[in-house]
Amino acid sequence: MLDGLLNLLPAELASLIRSLPASVLGGLEEIRIRQSRPLEIGHAGGFAFVTAAGTVSDDPAAGYRPTAELCARLLERITNHSLYAMEEELRRGYVTVPGGHRIGLAGRTVLEGGSVKGLRDIGAFNIRVARDVRGAAARLLPHIADRARRSLMSTLIVAPPQQGKTTMLRDIIRSVSYGSWPMPEARDWPARKVGVVDERSEIAACVRGVPVFDVGPRTDVLDACPKAEGMMMLLRSMSPELLAADEIGRPEDAEAIREAAHAGVPVIATAHASDLQDARGRTAIRGLIDEGTFAAVVELRRRGAATAFRVVRPIPAAREPTGLAGGAGAC
Amino acid sequence: MLKLAGAILVLLSGTLIGFRQAARYADRTAQIRQLLHVLQRLETEIGFGHTPLPEALERAAAGAAGPVAALFRRTAERLREGGAAVRDALRAAVDEGWSLTAMREPERSAVIRLGDALGISDREDQIRHLRLAAALLQAEEAGARDEQARYGKMWRSLGFMAALLVVILML
Repeated sequence: MLDGLLNLLPAELASLIRSLPASVLGGLEEIRIRQSRPLEIGHAGGFAFVTAAGTVSDDPAAGYRPTAELCARLLERITNHSLYAMEEELRRGYVTVPGGHRIGLAGRTVLEGGSVKGLRDIGAFNIRVARDVRGAAARLLPHIADRARRSLMSTLIVAPPQQGKTTMLRDIIRSVSYGSWPMPEARDWPARKVGVVDERSEIAACVRGVPVFDVGPRTDVLDACPKAEGMMMLLRSMSPELLAADEIGRPEDAEAIREAAHAGVPVIATAHASDLQDARGRTAIRGLIDEGTFAAVVELRRRGAATAFRVVRPIPAAREPTGLAGGAGAC
Repeated sequence: MLKLAGAILVLLSGTLIGFRQAARYADRTAQIRQLLHVLQRLETEIGFGHTPLPEALERAAAGAAGPVAALFRRTAERLREGGAAVRDALRAAVDEGWSLTAMREPERSAVIRLGDALGISDREDQIRHLRLAAALLQAEEAGARDEQARYGKMWRSLGFMAALLVVILML
């Protein structure tokens, strides 16, 4: 996975990253490139600067400083030499490259009628390395299983950025799609058809419509589609038994999730929030939680290399008759 | 007998040289025309199709022929191989293949200048650069057509005449 990403970087930058110690590379999460400022990496929850010799240091002054020319070349490569075709991405502030890695961009914004139209003079890149962890959801699945329907119940996964939400969601999708239920009582549960609305191309990392990540044999992916519209499209056309979407939050997302839930299709979604309380602060999500559309809310927390989770039932009796009243664990 | 054969050879080659020179003028006009077509196609692909540049270059090249198409096809190949920036890729393709075209320095610099801007700005800016290059080339095309009319005919007769002169001097 990392090799594909490094091939996308200009040669000198790629060789610098490659020369990092294996222990750092193994836990690499972010590569932050800022023009004329020290090159920074995020790994295993911490951060460090990369020196020109390919070692890590806590001292910013020792860091390797990417030149303007290198940044220009990097931008050209991540946009496939086609900045003009990236207007939507520039408006949103990130580009997703093959392999599902998201590259956040910062620079000078271009405004039109008071709203952001795009970016120019891009001088900062944040490359988020996408990870595919098989079995990441194995400990979580028993807590969100809907035993009556032999499927999952509608679940909202909340966590601040960089806690492994998307990785968790991807493994849930994969497990359900393969029918590899980890619970002993679920041995004869069937694999389920999963519909994924992958607005940011992060879950499945589709390249020309074909997922790069293994999201399971019974999974259909609507790539780069707005979530609300995509969920309705999938409901109508692909008869999913489970819907999945990343980073919900807009009122129309909530409406679509409600629609799916009423159609009997559970929805697994993620949202940016530090915990349940925080998530309830967002109007659209609060509605979904309070009316019991989401039968379970999972809070994720990184503990070093592992991810701990806590399952909360906002309305214990909402949907799941036999479930546990709450659970905690780590995976 | 030998003299006659020699004279015929000289006449023949002189005429050929003249025709070749005349053809270069015609080729230059035709190739500038092709270049303009390529730019127009690029403008469509970039402005309306949002086509990624390597693909846009290839499609645009498909509308042209010979050395002009090769310039853009090579550029696209270099981009696909990875590594090169557009300006370097186009420059390398021009360095490699320009001598096969009949075009001259003004056209070359217009292409190179376009390469400096291609792919690295928003749509409107790309279209502006493409139109600027097209305007420059149109001016060159008018000049080239002029020269073709004036010198093309001249070279055709000049080659034969010069050869005739040599033959007369020889005999």
